Amino acid sequence: MAMRSIYRGLRRNDLRFKEVREDEKSQMVGNVFTSVASSYDVMNDLMSGGLHRLWKERLVSKLNPFPGMKHLDVAGGTGDVGFRIFDSIHSVAHRAVRDGHDDNLLGETQIFVCDINPNMLRVGRKRAEDRGLGDNKSLVWVEGDAEKLTFGDATMDGYTIAFGIRNVTHIEKALAEAYRVLKPGGRFLCLGLSHVELPIFKDLYDYYSFAVIPKVGELVAGDRESYQYLVESIRRFPKQERFATMIEEAGFQKVEYENLVGGVVAIHSGLKF
Amino acid sequence: MVRRSGVLLKSAATGISSRLAEILVCPLTKQPLRMCEKTNSLISDSIGVSYPIVEWIPRLVPSDGIILQSDQDLNSSDSPQTNSS
Repeated sequence: MAMRSIYRGLRRNDLRFKEVREDEKSQMVGNVFTSVASSYDVMNDLMSGGLHRLWKERLVSKLNPFPGMKHLDVAGGTGDVGFRIFDSIHSVAHRAVRDGHDDNLLGETQIFVCDINPNMLRVGRKRAEDRGLGDNKSLVWVEGDAEKLTFGDATMDGYTIAFGIRNVTHIEKALAEAYRVLKPGGRFLCLGLSHVELPIFKDLYDYYSFAVIPKVGELVAGDRESYQYLVESIRRFPKQERFATMIEEAGFQKVEYENLVGGVVAIHSGLKF
Repeated sequence: MVRRSGVLLKSAATGISSRLAEILVCPLTKQPLRMCEKTNSLISDSIGVSYPIVEWIPRLVPSDGIILQSDQDLNSSDSPQTNSS
């Protein structure tokens, strides 16, 4: 029974990906995340073997958050990156070098978690409450569209988007908005599932993506289609070099990327001068 | 010290909302937003649209905006300037 379903999954790999019209994409993405919201965090652990935590740690470490910063995490629904930035700023290690002046700065820190899906935000806000951060003014949860951000020009010191850019219908618009809201000197960081070129590993990765992931999605989240969409959207996303060029075209400078796990994940970064 | 905590307590209830109105802009026009306590929403006067706040989360996706139909709506939304006759 299991073998048959895996075989069927492999065969589907030969067929064309499900065509998604532009106007349908945001509706579809909306449905996907409404469906997976409650099991999103569990699924991430399962699919990546817990590695997604390390990848997010790496992202935040590259961001190098500071007390008093205004940061925007887009597509950050359940708050994984937002919480990590918050913890990083409030951590004991940082406290060791702080003086009285810094205490005021700490209170001025603002981390905006923006997501287009209210269910994801609700899960995030609940997590904040569970941690006793429900009323903390530094964490602000906002429903918004990456292509039409609700923040003023040059208001952010940092912008991150983790595992969200592939869900945006018009990547260029999201990048343009990222550029707009960042202050000069502000940094753009994007963590995303990317492309593997290493021979043999690529085949293993493809097998894992198309045969295993949708099955796990079906068993754990009760939603095979959403995870099939996930895997296909990763393949459709521009490759590392192409995406880096797009970031440059949006106006960013010093654009670089770092591959993790042979390209399964990539962190792209850029600076607004 | 005592005075500061008093200010903090006073702004605890409304502070988050008014703070939001200072930071956020209309996603369509990028113009400032105005907080409306009565309807618990953020108003974009530039295009006459109101964005709801649901469960403490402001919904600022353009498609969430509700067009304010008439001057009556504008007046009932605690408009600081009255442009009606």
